Amino acid sequence: MISTGGLSRSYSDGARGEVRVLDGVSLEVRPGEFLAVVGRSGSGKSTLLHVLGGLDSEFKGEVTVAGTKLAGLKDRALARFRNESVGFVFQSFHLIQGLTALENVTLPSAFASVDGDDAQRAREALTRVGLGEKTARLPSQLSGGERQRVAIARALFNRPKVLLCDEPTGNLDVQTADEVIALFRSLNQDGLTIVAVTHEDRLRAAASRVLTLVDGRLFPDPDPLSHGGKGEKS
Amino acid sequence: MRASSLRKLVRLQLRRDRRGALSSSFGIAIGIASLVFFVALGLGVGRVVREKIFPVDSRLVDVVPSQLAIGLFGGGKLTQDAVDRLTALPGVERVYRKMSVRVPAVSFFDGDFFGRKLRMGIEVIAVGVDPDFVRADVKLGDFSDPGPGKPIPTVVASRLLEIYNKTFAPARSLPQLSATMLIGFSFPVDFNRSYVAVVAPGPVTSTQLQVAGISERGVLAAATIPLDVAIRMNKAANVDAETFTGVALQARSPSDVPVIVAAVKEMGLRVDDQERRMSENAGAAVAITTSAMALLSALICLLAAFNIAHALSAAVRARERELGVMRAVGASQRDIFGLVLAEAVVLGVGGGVMGTLTASLAALGVDMLASRVLPEFPFKPDTFFQVPLWLPLLGVALGVVAAIAGAWLPARRAAQVDPARVLAGQG
Repeated sequence: MISTGGLSRSYSDGARGEVRVLDGVSLEVRPGEFLAVVGRSGSGKSTLLHVLGGLDSEFKGEVTVAGTKLAGLKDRALARFRNESVGFVFQSFHLIQGLTALENVTLPSAFASVDGDDAQRAREALTRVGLGEKTARLPSQLSGGERQRVAIARALFNRPKVLLCDEPTGNLDVQTADEVIALFRSLNQDGLTIVAVTHEDRLRAAASRVLTLVDGRLFPDPDPLSHGGKGEKS
Repeated sequence: MRASSLRKLVRLQLRRDRRGALSSSFGIAIGIASLVFFVALGLGVGRVVREKIFPVDSRLVDVVPSQLAIGLFGGGKLTQDAVDRLTALPGVERVYRKMSVRVPAVSFFDGDFFGRKLRMGIEVIAVGVDPDFVRADVKLGDFSDPGPGKPIPTVVASRLLEIYNKTFAPARSLPQLSATMLIGFSFPVDFNRSYVAVVAPGPVTSTQLQVAGISERGVLAAATIPLDVAIRMNKAANVDAETFTGVALQARSPSDVPVIVAAVKEMGLRVDDQERRMSENAGAAVAITTSAMALLSALICLLAAFNIAHALSAAVRARERELGVMRAVGASQRDIFGLVLAEAVVLGVGGGVMGTLTASLAALGVDMLASRVLPEFPFKPDTFFQVPLWLPLLGVALGVVAAIAGAWLPARRAAQVDPARVLAGQG
């Protein structure tokens, strides 16, 4: 489902010069896998996720997600890839204030190339995350957990092949985080491929595989330092 | 991006930032209102100048004799031979001859003048014209020579009637006259008689002039009579009854006029374009004033565009994460660019419509005020404004253009928002 080879990403950082965030990352994720990527803050987890989701196209190396080779894709092709192949869940939910839960969920349809029964699909997605009764609520009328569920429903709206989650439980209390993690497991059991970057031990525990990102390289969990700082293909 | 989604997102943004949207639209409305107002005023005043004060028929060329007669064959004089040659010029459709009565004439009126007792003597100038020149405006008889002793049909210039009604009549407490009232009115005239000028050796011819019509083609400060009458009067007074004082050439189309004018000058004749030039000068003055005001209005629109640029730049900065989310769920840079421009278009349309309505109301107010406050004067129009259909459309279109111009850079900035940056972690 996901394959990277020699994936590198660098940033220019003024006086420090070029900072390499991802350093030759090679990764294979099978369909239906639930992968958790852990690592310290600034280790490049979000960058990896952004590259895999087509939000960051300035990388070097090979990246293939859901059959699409991302290297060299133009903006419109990347936008279509994001719309049709992947769904994003962010730590801060990033719902649009002023739009109802249903309207937030249908947002991807605004940029879709094909028409469909958007409202029905959005209701199904909201029902899937347990918010079938709150479709008309505004984000401000929902709890943190409910907002994250709306965000998950939005990510599921276009029936993506891969769900990419960036610290999805980072802003939730323990109980709500458990509910969201249970939802991820349920989605994964239904066959959805999930890649989540996280600090959360419970989310890590829910994953079928865990990798650690250290100095821009991926290592199998749990103890990256035992690898002596040398990355290996996972 | 789907149109229905675009509408929803644009509506959402404008609803969230009502104050900013109103401020931006208001700026455009001011600019468009002043533009539409002044252009409508310019068009209205221009129309009065063109159609009432100096009604110039774009197909007519007024030919007059040269001031110096040259050549062996009387070149420069408007003889019948010259008229025949003028008739043969390419592009000439009709020819109308004119001959002044070359002796002075006076009218002494003593009697009832439309309900007022009037006793007045005035010098009269009479100009004969080919009947077809004014026949369309003749309401009494067929405008031909009625023969000696019978009232001579006369056409009065519509501008002369306007000047009489707006200045002469009020100053002398005389009644206001309409064209209908004047038709059939007769007054005595003695040809070859004057209170001030030297007369010809011939006899005095006493007759009546009877108003047969009011026409824009009537000679402004003269009685316009049938050509044959003028010839008869000149013969009776033993003055030149052979050469014409003017010939009006009617071109097939206005585009033929320059060629005709050139040919006329080549024949040693002059073109009397005094009225045309006055019309053009007055029109140019109006156009220059209108252009200056329109430029000022355009500057206001430019300021409005800057205002929109400022407002939208702030809005884009505030919405970076939202735009990032849109990118994450499938919006391309072009979609985001189009979204911000669409918001601007709505502001532009709103401002344009508001501005056009404001200008229309202001024009209505000025007209009402003018009708109540301004004294009567010649050619005072019922409305000082002309609002052709294209003007409000232009107003709205310019509003949109100003809004788009203002939104262009913020829209580009919005399109270039890096979603990875704005969506990372806590933000």
